[in-house]
Amino acid sequence: MIESLILKAIIAGILVSIPLSFMSYFVVMRKMTFSGVGIAHSAFGGIAIGVMLGINSFLFPVIFCLFASLFIGFMFKKGGFSEDSIIDVIFVFSMAFGIFILSISKEYYAGIMGILFGDILAVASSDLWAVFFVFLIGSGFVWFFFDHLNLITYNEELAKINGIKTDILYYTFWAVLSVVIVFSIKLIGIILVNAFLVLPTLVGLNISKNYKGVLAVGVVSSIISIVAGVYLSYLLNTPAGATIVLFFVALWILSFAFKRH
Amino acid sequence: MINIKDLTIKKGNKIVLDNINMSVEKGEFVAIVGPNGAGKTTLIKAILGLEKPFSGEIKINGYKPDDIISNKILKISYLPQKAIVNWDMPLKVIDVVLIEHLRFFGLFRRYPKEKLKKAEYWLKVFGIEDRMNSYIKDLSGGQQQRVSLARCMVKEPDLLILDEPNTAVDAVYNFKMYETLRRLTDEKNLTIIMVSHDIGAVTTYVDKIMCLNVRLYCHGSPSSIDYSEMIKNVYGEGVEILMHGRQCKNCPVGVNKDD
Repeated sequence: MIESLILKAIIAGILVSIPLSFMSYFVVMRKMTFSGVGIAHSAFGGIAIGVMLGINSFLFPVIFCLFASLFIGFMFKKGGFSEDSIIDVIFVFSMAFGIFILSISKEYYAGIMGILFGDILAVASSDLWAVFFVFLIGSGFVWFFFDHLNLITYNEELAKINGIKTDILYYTFWAVLSVVIVFSIKLIGIILVNAFLVLPTLVGLNISKNYKGVLAVGVVSSIISIVAGVYLSYLLNTPAGATIVLFFVALWILSFAFKRH
Repeated sequence: MINIKDLTIKKGNKIVLDNINMSVEKGEFVAIVGPNGAGKTTLIKAILGLEKPFSGEIKINGYKPDDIISNKILKISYLPQKAIVNWDMPLKVIDVVLIEHLRFFGLFRRYPKEKLKKAEYWLKVFGIEDRMNSYIKDLSGGQQQRVSLARCMVKEPDLLILDEPNTAVDAVYNFKMYETLRRLTDEKNLTIIMVSHDIGAVTTYVDKIMCLNVRLYCHGSPSSIDYSEMIKNVYGEGVEILMHGRQCKNCPVGVNKDD
């Protein structure tokens, strides 16, 4: 029974960590890590509505995240505001909205802890299909558009004169990332999902100087962190999400020993 | 090749380009000079379709810039200002030179051999072939600009647009760069539009100079321009002209403003 729970947790964790690692490369390279934080926290409002209504659905957080990502992108590109300031507004609104909604429901404490820290060991067999779908969407998107995303990251104007619809690809990137984030939240929680948007690429950059190496190391380090974190949490009887991220941070610190200057 | 008619561009309520009329013929090497904030970059971005006119029009071979880009009617290469390029990416020089070779599912695919040969050739032309497998962030600013020039030429463009290509380039290579660009226009009939602050050098190498400061103050061959009038109009009063006779009589080598 326990082995089955751990196995499902590991499979689910690996399936979401791979697209998050791929997307983390562009999030870090475009210096948009705070955007990921904002989008992840925007899910809080959606999840809170679901908890209040007693509906365990991905629908509300996905809608909230999509709205947040599109709003951030639109206000940044068209509104003339800095991305950071818009993200901050989304961040505080979603958290305040979520707390407000949860406070008037009976599920306040249990709900908030689950949302913030996730519960990877509670993954049901039916969730695995959803997570597999997210893996395909996230990884497939990056794999398919890698050259285009790479050029946009290098210089957006160059991408435009090469005929890339940069706005569409930009919004699509955030929409896909939103979906991946929402499904990851259930496993490792809002706070910890941000670790997977940054750490894979930071570890990768320490070990490799080439983008393919950075991506490969990012994926491998994510998988190691998931497997080791879940196993350690079982041995130590600690929260799985927190243990995974603590292991990942330790891996990042360790990777400095192999840093290539 | 390029015709610009009554072009005005506004940013908010501010006019950044005011009623520009100019033309560039195929195979011409054109320099756009002017002080900071003169609208030089805005003008080349408008030619590339990256800035939209408030009024007036731009036609390249009879087409609007947007149509040129979306229908790939002409091959255009662009070297943007150095400061807006992400040099921190974990890319090798060869990856940067071929970064516009876009493929779907490109993540784990290798570059075609003919592309690699072309990249090597152009890196050699710009004197940096020995750094082909170096990482771009390990290169000096001047070397990065030379890699960008190779990137532009790998596309075998019909039109090459350069925004301050000599930023961070040392004095010796600066001279070589201008010679190479001049040779490309002469031998390949390549059209080049270059924004530059190097007012001295451009008079020696280009076919046409455009002096811009929101309005277009002059537009013609280096020898046809009244430099003292141009400097006064474009850079303002109290600017000292450093004169040097080379290609044209009274061509300046630079300007110096007394504070």
